[in-house]
Amino acid sequence: MNRATATRLLAERLRNEVVVSNLGQATLDLQRHGDRPLNCYTFGAMGQCSSIGLGIALARPDVRVICLDGDGSLLMNLGSLCTIATTAPANYALVIWDNEVHMTTGGQPTATAFRSSFVGLARGAGIEKVLEPRDETELRRAYDRLLTEDGPFVVNVKVEKGRAEGKLDRDVIGYTRRFMTALAALPRAAAAG
Amino acid sequence: MADPSWSKHMADVLRRNEIRLFATVPDYIVSHVLEHLWADPGCRVVTTCREEEGLGLLSGAFLAGERGALLMQNSGLGNCVNTLGSLNVASQIPVVLVISHRGDLAEFNPAQVPVGQATERILDALDIRHIMPRSIADLETQADGLIKLAYTRALPVAFILPAELTGGKIG
Repeated sequence: MNRATATRLLAERLRNEVVVSNLGQATLDLQRHGDRPLNCYTFGAMGQCSSIGLGIALARPDVRVICLDGDGSLLMNLGSLCTIATTAPANYALVIWDNEVHMTTGGQPTATAFRSSFVGLARGAGIEKVLEPRDETELRRAYDRLLTEDGPFVVNVKVEKGRAEGKLDRDVIGYTRRFMTALAALPRAAAAG
Repeated sequence: MADPSWSKHMADVLRRNEIRLFATVPDYIVSHVLEHLWADPGCRVVTTCREEEGLGLLSGAFLAGERGALLMQNSGLGNCVNTLGSLNVASQIPVVLVISHRGDLAEFNPAQVPVGQATERILDALDIRHIMPRSIADLETQADGLIKLAYTRALPVAFILPAELTGGKIG
């Protein structure tokens, strides 16, 4: 599957959800194919995308939060899977773009190119809803579930290797403030799901 | 002899400044503060696997409108350095760090000493304002102002808790 297509398929389904994107390729694809104020782009702190999203989900249980992480980054912060399982917010989903390489730095293989599997790791951490869509039809079905059902979800998507098109806009403080303002403006409703 | 009520003062300082979400990788010293927070139904404490993960979590919560504090040992500060710089400082996301100071006066474990001695310089290098209150009176005098500065400046601040305040850990 192609990461840009997978990003676009999610973006066209979004309404008032928060999307947190991992530094590098995930953020660039999301800027290009679905820029909106409720996107929380990250530009540094490699590994922290899933944790930042978890904090948003805990502070705003009325809003669905979807993290778009990368395999190389999540491998730096595997303990996050355990904290997601322990806190278990119903409004949380972690999507992993698993291309089995460190793409931003030139395509060096990660552990998922060999024997490691996020599906097994997430289940071992204690997450029950772990999905592994293998084509676009299954991916659409996975999005339908994480946008309507109680989570937490972990969705591992094997994507093709390849750099995102375009150039990253690194207005780090500007995008952070835009996101805070947009989320604060979203009226607090009953908990999502 | 340290006054054991220091831990309640520390917990009260955080709570009266509208901090209700806490992340921690506990140590012997900050666990005395955590006992007050765990016992408070108005507070939520998340134990993370690594301190840096708690920093990510609290940063997300701040973006969603909630103040947070991270309670840890100074070894945990060592684990947090890149995220403090490339997330909190770079994106101007405030967080309150409560750091027990091992590796200084009366330390018994040689492995604690290098990061213990580096603690203030690590914070200085990242331009993170910190205080090291040596008594409850000292804590009470500076604490509210330090936390206020965090949100005025939109950057992290740190309480370093020395053995003179907490009694340290006796080996």
